[in-house]
Amino acid sequence: MEAMVKKYQQKFRKVRDEMNRWDELQCRLISQFRNASSIIERLQVLQDPSNYGALNCIDGIRDEVLRKQMESLEINLLSMKRTMEEFHGIVFSIEKIHRDSKQQIKGGSSKPNAKQLQQRVGVKPSLVDCLDGLLVLYDMHHSEYRLKASVVSALSALTLKPSASDLCALQQLLVDQPNIPKEEVQFIFDIIFAEEIC
Amino acid sequence: MEALESPTPSSSYSSSYLKSQPIPSSTPSPLPSLMSRLWRPAAQRNLRNQWSKLASHRQQWASSSSSGKSHANSLVNAHLSQRYMPSLELGVLNDMPDIRKKACRKLCKQQERYRIKLLSSYKDMVAAVIQMVNACRSMRCYQTGTSNCTLVQFSNSAGDQNDTGDGGGVSVFVFLSISSHEKLAKQLVRMFIMELNVKRLLVLELLSISCEVPQDIGLHWGDQLYQGEFDNLSTLNLFSEETCEPVPPKLMDRKSDTPAVQCKNQPNPEVLQVYLTTWLAEVNINAHRIDEIFSLIGEEMHVSLS
Repeated sequence: MEAMVKKYQQKFRKVRDEMNRWDELQCRLISQFRNASSIIERLQVLQDPSNYGALNCIDGIRDEVLRKQMESLEINLLSMKRTMEEFHGIVFSIEKIHRDSKQQIKGGSSKPNAKQLQQRVGVKPSLVDCLDGLLVLYDMHHSEYRLKASVVSALSALTLKPSASDLCALQQLLVDQPNIPKEEVQFIFDIIFAEEIC
Repeated sequence: MEALESPTPSSSYSSSYLKSQPIPSSTPSPLPSLMSRLWRPAAQRNLRNQWSKLASHRQQWASSSSSGKSHANSLVNAHLSQRYMPSLELGVLNDMPDIRKKACRKLCKQQERYRIKLLSSYKDMVAAVIQMVNACRSMRCYQTGTSNCTLVQFSNSAGDQNDTGDGGGVSVFVFLSISSHEKLAKQLVRMFIMELNVKRLLVLELLSISCEVPQDIGLHWGDQLYQGEFDNLSTLNLFSEETCEPVPPKLMDRKSDTPAVQCKNQPNPEVLQVYLTTWLAEVNINAHRIDEIFSLIGEEMHVSLS
C-alpha cells in the first residue's frame, strides 16, 4: 500500500508541474488580453475623423490607422486562441493523470478493499485522499478553462461594441481565476505531502 | 522615388566628355567572360554587404522608433497631468503653499526633457533611413582601372561610362540581377522614407504641445527641427525646392493633391491618443512585405538577414 501511495505522490508532482505551466500561461494570457483590450478601447476614438488633428492632411490616414489596428487586434486574438489551446492541453493532461490513477486501483492486480482505500499510515495520505485530490484539481482547472474560454470569446464580441467597464470586469475575471482557490489547492497538497512538511 | 535612382554613368559624366572621347566598344554588352568571372565575386561580396547594412539599419529604425514612442508617451502624460493640475483633487496637500505651481513647474521641466529625447529619436530615424538609401545606391559594382591593367579592381563608383556596374545584367547569385536587387531594395526603403515623413508631422505636433499658454511656440511644417534637417530631407527627396518646405506626408501608393499641412496646437487628449497610436501603427511600413523581401534575398544569397 505504501508503494502505491508513493506512486500517487509522483503523480501529484506531475500535476504540480502542469500547474506551474498553467501559471506561465496565465501571465501570457493576461498580457495578451491587456493588449487586445487597449486596442478595442481605442477603436472608438480612432473612428472619429475629428480626432486626427494635423494628421487630417494625410489622405486616407484614418482608414489606414484603423486597418493596422484591426490587424494587430486580430493577431492578438489569434495568439490568445493559441494560449487557450495550451490551457486545454493542461486540463487534458491532469484529467489523464486522474483517469490513469483510478484505473490502477480498479484494474490493478491487487484490488484494495474499501478499508485499505481509507487506510492512513502515519501522516501519509490514504488512497482515497489521493484520488479525491486529483479529481478536485482536475475539476478546478477544467471549470477555470471553460470560464477563460468564455471570457476570451466575450472579448471578441466586445470589439464591435466596446465598453470600458466591461473590458475591465472581464480582465478582473481572468486575473482572479475564481475556480482555482489558492488555499484549497494548498490544502490538498498539504495532505498528500504531509510527511515533507513535518 | 527619384532620390533612389542609382548613379548611372550618364549622370556622372557630362555629355561633352562623352562626345570628345570615342567609345571603343559602343554596346554595353555583357563583359568578356574573364571579366565576368572576376566581376561576380566582387559583386556578390558587395551585395552581401549592402543587404546586411539594410537589415541592420532596419533594426536601428525599429529601436529608434520604439524609443521615440516611449518618449512621446511620457511627454503626453506629463503634458496631460499638467493640464489637469488645476482641477486635481489634492486632499491634505491642498494646504501646502504653491503646491500646484511647483508641480506644474516640475511637469514643465519633464516635458522639456522628453521633447529633447523625442527629437533625438527622430534624428536617429532620419539617420537610419539615410543609411538605407546609401546602401540602396551602392549596389552596383564597377570595374576600376583600365582593362589592360593586370590588376582588376572593383568599386561602387563608375570609372568608365560604358560600365553599368551590373555585369551586363547577369544574375549575381542565382536568379536576380543587380537591377532586380535594386528594385527590391528601393521598394523596401521607400516605405521607410514615407513613414519618416509621417513621423515628422507627429514629432512636430508633439513638440508643439507646450506647457505655457497656448499658441506661443507652435512649430510649422516649414520649420527646420534641427540643424541640417533640410539637407537630410533633400537626400531622401522629401524636400521640395519649389515651396522650400518639406514635402507633405502621405500614404504609400496614394496619389492625392495633399493639402497644405496645418499644425494644430494644443490638441485635446483624444487627438494626442490618435497621434500616439499612429506612431505605433507605422502606416506606411508593410512589415510582412519587408520580411518577405529579406527572406527572398537571404535565400538568394545563402545568408540569413534580419
